[in-house]
Amino acid sequence: MKIVTLKQLISMSLFALAVAMLPATSFAELPVPSHITPPVGEHKGEDVPQPIEFPHNRHVKDMKINCMYCHTYARRSKVAGIPPTSKCMGCHKMIATDKPRIKKLTEYWEKGESPRWKKVHDVPDYVHFTHEKHIRKFVFNADFPVEDVQQVCGLCHGELREMTVANKKKPLNMGFCQRCHQANGGPGDCWKCHK
Amino acid sequence: MLGWGGAGTALAGCDMPTTVTLEEGKEEVVSYLMPEEYVIPGIGVWYASTCTQCEAGCGLHGRVREGRVLKLEGSPDSPINHGNTCMMGQAGLQHHYNPDRVTTPMMRKNGTLQAVSWEDAMSALEKRIGSASGVDGKRVGMVTGTVSGHQSVLVSELMDQLGSRNHYVHELVNTSVWRAVCRDMLGDETPKLNFNKANLVMSFGADFMGAWGSPVNNMGEYAKFRKGSERGTLVQIEPKMTMTGANADLWLPANPGSEGALALGIANFIIERGWNSVDVPSRVRNTLKQYNLAAVEKVTGIDEEKIMRMASLLSERAPSLVLAGASVENQENGYDSVAAIMLLNLIMGNVGQTLEPTAKFAEESMRAKQGNTKDLLLLAKALNGKKLDVLFTYNTNPVFTAPDVLQIKSGLANVGFKVAFSMFPDETTLMADLVLPINSAMEDWGTHVAAYQPDGAVMGFQQPLMEPLNKETRGFGDVMLSLLKMRSKDYAKFEDYYSYLQTSLLNMPSSIVASNGSKEETWNGILQSGIIKTKGVTKPLTPKLVDMRYKPSAGNSEYPMHLVPTAKMGMWDGRHANIPWIQEAPDQIAKVVWGSWAELHPKKAAELGVKNGDYIRVTSASGSVEAQVYVHKGIHPDAVAVPVGQGHEDFGRYAKGRGVNPLKILNPLMEKRTGELATYATRVKVTNIHKTAALVKMGSSESQVGRRFVRTVTASAYQRTERES
Repeated sequence: MKIVTLKQLISMSLFALAVAMLPATSFAELPVPSHITPPVGEHKGEDVPQPIEFPHNRHVKDMKINCMYCHTYARRSKVAGIPPTSKCMGCHKMIATDKPRIKKLTEYWEKGESPRWKKVHDVPDYVHFTHEKHIRKFVFNADFPVEDVQQVCGLCHGELREMTVANKKKPLNMGFCQRCHQANGGPGDCWKCHK
Repeated sequence: MLGWGGAGTALAGCDMPTTVTLEEGKEEVVSYLMPEEYVIPGIGVWYASTCTQCEAGCGLHGRVREGRVLKLEGSPDSPINHGNTCMMGQAGLQHHYNPDRVTTPMMRKNGTLQAVSWEDAMSALEKRIGSASGVDGKRVGMVTGTVSGHQSVLVSELMDQLGSRNHYVHELVNTSVWRAVCRDMLGDETPKLNFNKANLVMSFGADFMGAWGSPVNNMGEYAKFRKGSERGTLVQIEPKMTMTGANADLWLPANPGSEGALALGIANFIIERGWNSVDVPSRVRNTLKQYNLAAVEKVTGIDEEKIMRMASLLSERAPSLVLAGASVENQENGYDSVAAIMLLNLIMGNVGQTLEPTAKFAEESMRAKQGNTKDLLLLAKALNGKKLDVLFTYNTNPVFTAPDVLQIKSGLANVGFKVAFSMFPDETTLMADLVLPINSAMEDWGTHVAAYQPDGAVMGFQQPLMEPLNKETRGFGDVMLSLLKMRSKDYAKFEDYYSYLQTSLLNMPSSIVASNGSKEETWNGILQSGIIKTKGVTKPLTPKLVDMRYKPSAGNSEYPMHLVPTAKMGMWDGRHANIPWIQEAPDQIAKVVWGSWAELHPKKAAELGVKNGDYIRVTSASGSVEAQVYVHKGIHPDAVAVPVGQGHEDFGRYAKGRGVNPLKILNPLMEKRTGELATYATRVKVTNIHKTAALVKMGSSESQVGRRFVRTVTASAYQRTERES
C-alpha cells in the first residue's frame, strides 16, 4: 500500500481545492446589474424531469427571447406563471413542428390539456414573495433595460440560458432573502414576507 | 417545528438546511390552456353568483384564482344583502371543498350502496320512471328544501309529467305561521319590514338577526334602525336569549306559549288609555277586556309594570314594528299568538309605515316554494301509509329533522325506490337506493327568487365559480333535464341546463324583464351582475282584523319544563354541521364549540344541583337526550334549550356522532290553524344524571374575578355624575 506523505496530502488537497474553486461551467458568467448587490448563496438542485424537456437555452440564448415574453405575469403578479399552452402554440403552430418535443406539445394542445409541469422553484406557504415588486424595484423603477431582464431574474433563478429544464441553483431560503434585503435596502419587517 | 429556535444566530438559522425543505419536482404546476385576457395567475378575479346556504338568496361575489374559488363576499349590487354575508355564506366554501362529498353515483346492491356509473344510474331511473316504465305517477313523490326559479320549474314539470302532486317542501327553519298571519291580516305574505323607519322594534321570539326570515337583510336594516337620529329601541320577548335578544334594550322571558296573551294585554292597555292610532271595533275591544293586567301577569309571568311599560313604549315611540318568530309561531297556538301580536301593528298604525308591501316576481311558477314543517307531517303520513313507490330527495334531510315519533326512517323502507340528489352522505341520502352526486353551489348554474324581496323583485343568478372538483358530479338542473327527457320530447332541444337557462332567460317576456341591448349584451350583463332586476307585481296592503281565538297553552305536571330547540345562525337546521368553520364558531350566547349543550336558568340548575359541564337528561313523552348544562340567566326558569343542528348519525367526519339532536324527542304536536309541526310545544322533564366533564367553550369564566375589565355604573350614579358634568 502506498503511503501518502503529509506533503503529498497537502498538495492533493490544494489541488482539490483549486478544482473546486474553478467555475462549474466554462461559459462566461451573466453580468450582475450594477445597481444590485447580488444575494449570496448556492444550491445544488435536483434534476427534475418534466413532461416535455423544455429547452430554456434554445429560447433564451439562441432565440434571445425575453424571460417576460413567456413569463408575462412576473411583472403583474406575485407569481411569474407558467405560460399558457396557447402561448407556446402561438409560435409552434408554425415553428419546428416536426421536432418530437413540439409534436408532444401539439398532442397536449389537441387534447385540450396543458402539460403537468413539475414545480422547481417554490417558497413555503407562510412566505409571501412577489415577483411584481422585485421586478418593479430592480427593473422598471431602476430604469434598467428590460431587454437585459434575465440578469435580474438570474439572481434567484440561475442562468436559464444554459439550462434546458429549470434547475434550482439558489437556496431561496430566509438567509438568502435576508442578505439581499439588507444589501439592497429591502424591507426588514417580519410581516413584509410572513403574512 | 422548523428547528431554528436554538440554531445559533438568527442569520445562521435562516440558512439551516431544515428550512430548505421544499422538495423540487414533487408538486405540479399546470398552466392555463388558453386563459381570458384578464386572467393573471396570483391575482383573483371576482365572479358574481348567488348564495344557497339558506333561502334568503343573497348575492355573492366569489374570488377565483388559478381556477379555484378562494373567498366569498356579498354582492354590493344585491338589494337583499347589500354587499354583506353571514357566517353561513362565508362558510359555503367548506361545503364545496368538503372531503366528504359524494363523488360517484351509488346504487343499493345487497343492502349496501355501491359505486355505479351514471349510465347505470340513469338506466335504473329510466326503468322506474321513464315513459315505458308504466309507473303510477301518483305514487311518485319528491321532497325538497325551498326551491325557486328554474330549479322549481323543473321540479314542477317533472311532477306534472308524472302526474304527481306529491312535492313536499320541507324546511325546519321557516316563517310559515308568520306568513300565514301576514297573508290573512295584511294581504301580503312577506311584507317589507322597515326597521329603519321604526323607533321601536318589539319582537316576540323573532331572532331576525339569526335564524328568522332574511337575516343579512334584517341585520343591515337593524343597523340603520340603531344608527338613526334617534336610536331605535329593541324589546325582545322570548324563552331563550337568541343573538337578537342579546342585542335588546329590554329582554323578557314570558311563559312559553303565553306570548299571545302578553300581546293582547298590551293591546288592551293601549286601547283603555286611548293610545291606539287606529280605531278598534267594539267586537275586538270586548274580546280584549278579559286581558287585563292582573290576568295577563298571571298567564305570562311578566309583571304588570313591565306590561304597562311596553304599552307606553309602543305609544311613545311610534311608529314601531312588532314581529313574531319561531318560539311563538311554533307553539300549538302559534297562529293565534302571532295574530294577537300582529294586532299591535294594526292598532298602532304601523301598516303602511314600518310594514309595507313587497314586489313579487311576475312569473308565479318561479316564485319561491317555501319549505315548512306541514309538508314533513304530510310526508310522514304518505310514507307510513305506503302511498309512495318512488321518492326523490333534494336539499333537505327529513330523516335528521323529523322527530322520531313521525317514523320517517322506518316509513322510508316502504318506498321501493328512493333517489337522493345529494352532495353529502347525510342521513336521508344513506337511506336511498340510488344516490346521484350533484355539483356544489360553486360548480352549478341556477336561478333563485328569494321569498322575501325587500327592494324590488329580483332573481339571483347562480353561475359556477370553478370547474367541478369531481368528474362524476352533475348539476341538479342537468339531471332534472335528463329525467324530463325520459318522459317528454319537449326537452330534447336543450343540450344541457345551461342552454335551458340561457334560452329561458333571454326569452323572458318584456312584462318581466325590460330588454336592453342585444341578447349577447343581456347575457353578459347577467353573468357580470349575478342579479336580474325584474318588474315585480306589488299590491297594496289590506289590513284586516281576524278573530282573536287565542288560548294559552295548557300546563303539564308530568313534564313541567318547556323544550326550546333553538335553530341559530350558523348551524341552521343542521345542514351546516359538516362545515368545520361553523363547528368552530362559538355559539353566540353559550360560546360552546363542536357540540351540544342544554341551557338552564341558574335557579333551575341550583334546584337540580348541576353546574356548567354536568350532564342532564332531557326527557319528553317521545324520548330523551343527554347533554351538558350551560347555566345562563337568559332563559326562562321553566325552559331548557337544546340547540338544533348536532347529533348527526352520519353526514361526514365533522358532523357524525357529535352532540345530540333535540328534534328527535319532539312530540307530534301541530300548530292548530296551519298544520305546522309545533316544534316549541314539547314539554319535558330534566334529571341530573350525575356525570360531568369540561364544557368545551370559548372563555372559561364569565366572572371578571374582581378585575373590573368592564366597568358598570348604576343609572342613578350616571345621572348624578356624567350627565351633569
